[in-house]
Amino acid sequence: MGPRDQDTPGHRRAWGWVAHLHEGGATPWRDWTSEGEARGRMLPGAQQLELLRRLNSAGSPTPELIERTLTASAPGRGRSDLELLGAVEPLAFGPPPVDPGDLRDDELLRVAAGLLAEDVVAAGLPPAHPPTFVRPWRTRYRLQGDPELADPIREQLVARGRPPGGRGSTVLVLGDRLDRMVVDAWTASCFDEGAAAWGTWLGSRARRRALPHRIDLAHVARTWAGRVGHDRVRIVLDPAAVPRLVGVRRPFTLPGDVPADGVELARRIAAMLGLLVPRDLRRALLRHTVRPRLAAQPGPRLAVSPEHTEWLQRRAVRMGEGIRRAGYPVLGDPDRLLPAPADHDRVVEPSDAGALALAVRLLLGDDGKEWL
Amino acid sequence: MTKRVLLHVGTPKTGTSYLQDVLFRNQRMLAGHGIHYPADRFDAHFLAALDLMRLPWGGLEAEAVGAWDRLAASVRRSRGTSIISHEILATASRSQVGRALESLGHGDGAEIHVVLSVRDLVRQIPAEWQENVKHRAVLSYARFLELIQDPARDSRIASWFWGVQEVPDILNRWGVDLPPERIHLVTVPPPGGPPQLLWERFSHAFGLDGLELDLEAERVNPSLGVPETALIRRINLAANTELDPPSYRPLVRELLAHQTLSRRTRSPRLALPPDVHPWAQDVAASWRTEIEKRGYDVIGDLDDLTGPPPLEKWSDPDQPSERQVAGAAVDAIKALLLETARLRQTEERLAGELRETQIALERSYLRPTYRMREKLVRRLQDGRTGQRLLRAYRRLRGRSSRSA
Repeated sequence: MGPRDQDTPGHRRAWGWVAHLHEGGATPWRDWTSEGEARGRMLPGAQQLELLRRLNSAGSPTPELIERTLTASAPGRGRSDLELLGAVEPLAFGPPPVDPGDLRDDELLRVAAGLLAEDVVAAGLPPAHPPTFVRPWRTRYRLQGDPELADPIREQLVARGRPPGGRGSTVLVLGDRLDRMVVDAWTASCFDEGAAAWGTWLGSRARRRALPHRIDLAHVARTWAGRVGHDRVRIVLDPAAVPRLVGVRRPFTLPGDVPADGVELARRIAAMLGLLVPRDLRRALLRHTVRPRLAAQPGPRLAVSPEHTEWLQRRAVRMGEGIRRAGYPVLGDPDRLLPAPADHDRVVEPSDAGALALAVRLLLGDDGKEWL
Repeated sequence: MTKRVLLHVGTPKTGTSYLQDVLFRNQRMLAGHGIHYPADRFDAHFLAALDLMRLPWGGLEAEAVGAWDRLAASVRRSRGTSIISHEILATASRSQVGRALESLGHGDGAEIHVVLSVRDLVRQIPAEWQENVKHRAVLSYARFLELIQDPARDSRIASWFWGVQEVPDILNRWGVDLPPERIHLVTVPPPGGPPQLLWERFSHAFGLDGLELDLEAERVNPSLGVPETALIRRINLAANTELDPPSYRPLVRELLAHQTLSRRTRSPRLALPPDVHPWAQDVAASWRTEIEKRGYDVIGDLDDLTGPPPLEKWSDPDQPSERQVAGAAVDAIKALLLETARLRQTEERLAGELRETQIALERSYLRPTYRMREKLVRRLQDGRTGQRLLRAYRRLRGRSSRSA
């Protein structure tokens, strides 16, 4: 037995609480008084126990989920499994014990995102579409620009036997209001290679007045003009024009926006998935398994805070001028690039509390949906 | 024959890179003596540790998927003694330790020993700040010291620092299921001692005495002085948001820090501020008392944990001599220029090769016979009869290739 695993009243009280949580109880640690028998090699960490309490408060976790929660470790950097305040003698070494009720949502989210990432890996990918006949006489195109527009349209075109590229392709650079594109760029990163938290990500760009390359339409157009020639680049600010430009009649379905807390949760799941599966599979899981379920969740969407409007306005004007000066054909209203005040139903920052509540719902399956 | 696993779990900056380099380069020779160091690449155990602890590491974790289970399976398959060594294992949580020990065969016939190499806090604290800076951190030395002295330890910096440095806590986590005689502490000798002394202690701890090992180091983790560390921190402040981790590692950490600035050995060395010295020594003294009480096997001398006395002339990395930083910056610019020139030459050579390939490709595309054949193949591929004809043609031609 280690120095912490002693048979003390505090320890017995902790094991009593573990048994209570095991049976679906939701009493906070600070209100718990009964004692119980040790049920394992060591007490689970405070983060795991508090997450289980939250799961019990919100619904009925399955026995398997209870077991997984108690044996999970908080992945990533940060405090490791913490001792319960009052369960152990004051410690001379190691992180101080905590009251689990005082833990930040961020610490519980670490554990929850690890469990969700495991669920996603276990669910796998939706069945692949059978390979489509590639139409030899298709319109040759490439789609660039706003990733939340270009990526889903490209995927649908591929599914219709019209992959991008080929000799003589026209490059279509898709765009929208600049503030929306900024949100889109962060969202796309969260469902791809991962990104810093929204505030940090946006703050670092705002300090440098720098846009992500993909949504700097003038930059994208210039890059492609250098590769394929100026006359083969179009700026498309009206998504309705895309079907005609790529030679199809049927319009495209754009995936619904994911709520702000859902994107934040995806960002955290992405970080954990990076440790469980290879990069390509991570991207596919995030886009095809995680995203549809998160997009179906209620909650306000993300918007850029008004404090950034001024520099984005200037950047949008500069971008428009750059496009006009270079003389690329523009489909749609060039003023569409200008940012507008955020809608009232949007939020300017995802919240850890909201992301945690969503994670709990998904773990419990209370949203009435499955991964696949 | 009892199967033994020697699990070296830390701590950072105690000569671990050198030890791992020696073990990796002498794998074959060690295997001949029944010592198994299962690693197909130098950083195999680092990747396994990332996997075990589910620790993101600037994108490197993508290479770590499944690495711990593969390492543990290799250890379970092998006979004799197996060695696993990586310093970030020190920060593993209790549940991760439980998983690690179980996967290595603890309780299933394997005799597990935990080895921890330890160095005095007086040298470890500045070394850890420097490691943070070499991993893109921008926080000042003063802020770092403030965070690690905060009893709450709830910042990322403090939780990591104490996770990998607090010897009694590391051994609480790693040693909870092991008898004290299977826990071995290797102390790093104080500065100025015989240079081979630390290796002799490692050699003793890992049972390598008497083996003719190639001890020529190829990989070490060299230290930087005060102006050099201050320069890297300023580079981080200026470039972090634009330089992604896969580029930062080879350019800043390797090229600038390790290959260039670490050669400037005449600049003032990083050290603990004199006012923090008594606190660090009090902490070290409490560790020492605890270690003695627990009765671990100590290889070296617990007096080594006391550390050197405070410097008479301490140099503050938050307010370095600008002249010295400028000197370091000139060396850094020179290194970057040389590297850029090398890359330009490579780029020119590759562009030339690409041009030649494109010309050759264009030439073959432009030949009318090629265009005719291309059209014919496309037509044939559209129909079943055509596809059959193509298959027959390819069989007759005697190639499995699908190209025309």
